[in-house]
Amino acid sequence: MIEASPFQYFVDPVLRAPTLGSMLMCLGASLVGVFVFLRRQSLLGESLSHAAYPGVILGVILSGLLSFGESEEVYIAIFIMGGAAITALLGLWCIYALERHLGVRSDSALCFILSVFFGVGLTLASQVQFSYSYLYRQAQVYLYGQAATMTDIHVIVYGVLAFIITGVVCLFYKEIQTITFNRDYAKSIGMNVRMMDAVFFVLIVIAVIIGIRSVGVVLMSAMLISPAVAARQYTNKLSLMFLLAGLFGLLSGYLGNYLSTETSLWFQRVYPSSRLALPTGPMIVLVASCICLLSLLLAPERGMLLRMCRIAHFRQRCMYENLLKAIWRLGPHQAVSFEQIAKHQSTSKFYLRFVLWRLKRNGWLQTNDQKFYQFTHEGEVWAAKIVRLHRLWEVYLVDYLGMGSEKVHVNAEEMEHIITPDLERELTLLLHDPQRDPHHQPIPPKAF
Amino acid sequence: MDIKYFNPYSNENFLGFFYQLGLRLYGFISGQIPLRELASDEIQLIVLMSLAGSAALVGAFLVLRKMTMLANSLSHTILLGIVAAYVMSSNGILEGDEHYHPINIQAMLWAALGVGILTVFLTEFLTKKARLQEDASTGIVFTSLFALGIVLVTLLTRNAHVGTEVVMGNVDALQLEDCKLILIIFGLNILLTGLFFKEYQITTFDPALANALGFSTLFYNYLLMVQVSATTVGAFRAVGVLMVLAFITGPVLTARLLTHRLGTLIFMAIGIGFFASLIGVALSRHILSVYGVPFSTGIVVCVIAGLFLLAIIWKKIERSRLFGKFQAKDLVSTS
Amino acid sequence: MPTTPTHPFAFQAHQLTVNYDKTPVLWDITFDIPQGHLVGIVGPNGAGKSTLIKAALGLLKPISGSVDFFGKPLRSVRTKIAYVPQRQSVDWDFPITVRDLVLMGGYGRLGVLKWPRKADRVAAERYLEWVGMDQYADRQISQLSGGQQQRVFIARALLQEADLYFMDEPFAGIDLATEKVIMGILSKLKAEGKTVFVVHHDLNTVENYFDWAVLLNMRLIASGPVKEAFTAQNLQATYGKSFSLFDEALKLSQEKTHGAVS
Repeated sequence: MIEASPFQYFVDPVLRAPTLGSMLMCLGASLVGVFVFLRRQSLLGESLSHAAYPGVILGVILSGLLSFGESEEVYIAIFIMGGAAITALLGLWCIYALERHLGVRSDSALCFILSVFFGVGLTLASQVQFSYSYLYRQAQVYLYGQAATMTDIHVIVYGVLAFIITGVVCLFYKEIQTITFNRDYAKSIGMNVRMMDAVFFVLIVIAVIIGIRSVGVVLMSAMLISPAVAARQYTNKLSLMFLLAGLFGLLSGYLGNYLSTETSLWFQRVYPSSRLALPTGPMIVLVASCICLLSLLLAPERGMLLRMCRIAHFRQRCMYENLLKAIWRLGPHQAVSFEQIAKHQSTSKFYLRFVLWRLKRNGWLQTNDQKFYQFTHEGEVWAAKIVRLHRLWEVYLVDYLGMGSEKVHVNAEEMEHIITPDLERELTLLLHDPQRDPHHQPIPPKAF
Repeated sequence: MDIKYFNPYSNENFLGFFYQLGLRLYGFISGQIPLRELASDEIQLIVLMSLAGSAALVGAFLVLRKMTMLANSLSHTILLGIVAAYVMSSNGILEGDEHYHPINIQAMLWAALGVGILTVFLTEFLTKKARLQEDASTGIVFTSLFALGIVLVTLLTRNAHVGTEVVMGNVDALQLEDCKLILIIFGLNILLTGLFFKEYQITTFDPALANALGFSTLFYNYLLMVQVSATTVGAFRAVGVLMVLAFITGPVLTARLLTHRLGTLIFMAIGIGFFASLIGVALSRHILSVYGVPFSTGIVVCVIAGLFLLAIIWKKIERSRLFGKFQAKDLVSTS
Repeated sequence: MPTTPTHPFAFQAHQLTVNYDKTPVLWDITFDIPQGHLVGIVGPNGAGKSTLIKAALGLLKPISGSVDFFGKPLRSVRTKIAYVPQRQSVDWDFPITVRDLVLMGGYGRLGVLKWPRKADRVAAERYLEWVGMDQYADRQISQLSGGQQQRVFIARALLQEADLYFMDEPFAGIDLATEKVIMGILSKLKAEGKTVFVVHHDLNTVENYFDWAVLLNMRLIASGPVKEAFTAQNLQATYGKSFSLFDEALKLSQEKTHGAVS
């Protein structure tokens, strides 16, 4: 049972803030994620989000020391975000120092900083649990995200930050494109690569600190990776990639928040004893991952399922062409019986009949009264073309590349299905329009 | 379940801790104190030290093979395995805040194995079939599986705190049975790493030659993953899944600064891990006794980080000391 | 001291064909190499030289054809074959000393669960001396120059005390002194009746270094003593023809196999 209509999520004062906040946060993260993806530093987000955690706790501790209560939510939030930013930047600097000055490999540096900073954060968190228990909840929220308690102020802040991210991406689009593609070239034409690196690092820190509220520290990196990967499956153009990633981010933010709230409400109705609130982070990430998975499978051109379909289609075409070729060899103008065809084929009789039937249905073959098969005009043209390509290729291999003539047949069997008209033209030119193949068989002339 | 009212380490400060430890050790060895009366501090010590040892053994090869992010990935996806083991071993669904639940060691290890292989398989699949960058594949696999795990575990146990526990561990709730699991895993790691040391060495350094000599690099990759999975699953109760990474990377990176030989590296890393665990437990007891503030496992991670910093400083000092020597030498020799 | 096998041919390739997807990279390679020669394998980049070695050593699986060493398949004579991979294939930052790297050469012979013995260590010292790297025995390999790295690699192969050596581009990017050292080693090996295959990139030095040449460009152009095989005509056949049409067809074939839109 749906508790509230989807539209209400934008309007209802209680539901509005978490929904918009999550969406804005995911938007920011996914845009930065494209940048991260292009630089092949997808796991940097993982390290930084974990490095932000001690900062969160420090912010909480500071609030506790200043005796902030529920009413000073805004200040607490500011301290937390500030702390998170500081430790995230510190973590970034440590990673850089480890790699540059100590020669530690990138993956080890990322892992080490991730675990150490996070460990320190957890240690401090256990402290908070002890001394400022009423603020402990604040710290917990940042582990897996809890959008439900966001207020309009959060939304405004996140909105501004998301706007900044979008602005930077638009402003520096050219630089981003050139530098991520070819760093040295960008340097050579005078782009300030180091400044862009700094911009990149600032952006990723911003994305992380706004993200950890909705999605949490542990899962934050998903929002940097999944929308970008999904977007990549649809396009080669960078601008479109940014657009799509942003869209997917918005969708994940909305749906994840929606589903987690609905599930929590449903749960509370069914099991009233447990006051269970499903954290939003995992749901948002699950939605984003589903979008990513579906994109990987179904995207036109690159989608895996579609690729498999194309492969199957190609194989089928090869089967047709091989059969037509075999019939052509038996006698291009004769009618041939099924038995004659079946004699040299290795597939089952049943399948053979099926393929022949399909060829007839599609107009490449026809049968006469004795059920013998014969080419239609189109069929003959196609068959002749395949034979021509096969024999042309054999001439190329033997005469031009110097292969032994006994060996070229197998390769030609593969290539005859692949050679495009352009390639055929070039071959004809290169070989001076040969009339005979290496086995002294005639090469059918080019059809018009 | 025995509740210990008397802990010989209560109110001990840092040095007092070691004194007590020494006394107790003598008592255990001479048979005066039965093993079932291990204090919680000692249990923590055993678990942490075994964990550090295991982690150093697998960590050395993970770092050298540049596979630490895969270990990070595994440490997240293991949650799914734990959920599966949970469902398999206890047919009950826990209500409330009860932390201690019966662990079926076998179920855990099998689950760890299964999830480890699944993670590697999925990452490879995405990299090869979907033509995705390796860092992105790793990221997608572990975040989605972990998110799934969190949702399942929260729904199944109807306890929103389990998510935190998994990540933090609960070292204070460790019992004697936990020692068993982790000691077995430590033993397993020692056995496998010792037996296959040179195979690991050559498949890490020069896979082409290794294959040419007849060693299967694929086999040793998977073996290493099995060891990492087992280590991670053993750790989740003590320090939570994420801090295992500190044990895996920290001591190895520290040792790497101090030595050039692989064998020495491993022994040093184990030693550093042992040392950090010892100091960590002593420190947390000290802080509890003297300041009344309970810190838990996190202290050990801080100690590991501290030791790393010390190693850096030591290296800097050594370098500036030798710098003078090198300058003179370079003038004389030709390379 | 293990005896050199008595089979007349150290290496026999028989119709070896190695594919990349559906298209051949090595096509129908057949040639025999008698024992005791220094063989230079030359051909354009991407022509399959490294592929030949890798297929021979079982690192790649051929579509068809076979390779015999001293008349036997690889499995039975692994210990008689040594491989020096390309230098870039390895991370030189690995924590290992020069001496330990050389000792690695003995791992195949030792098998699982065994450790290097005293005799192995003495042998390692000797071979390090042969290549002039004995002073560096305790040095960390990351501190070596390119030429020194290559020498240590060769010492490792020497430790295997094989009868047949495969070296992949050992002369690439090294200094003059190292070049002389390597040439000296090769001559020594030949004098002892060993057979050495070297993938070589510098056509100018083939006649100085080798006494047998194999010219490859996807298929075998020529194989024979340098004077006979390394001729202008054969070189023209190896390097002269344009393979661009073939490459284009290869690319199309790969696309179709992976279901890409072309």
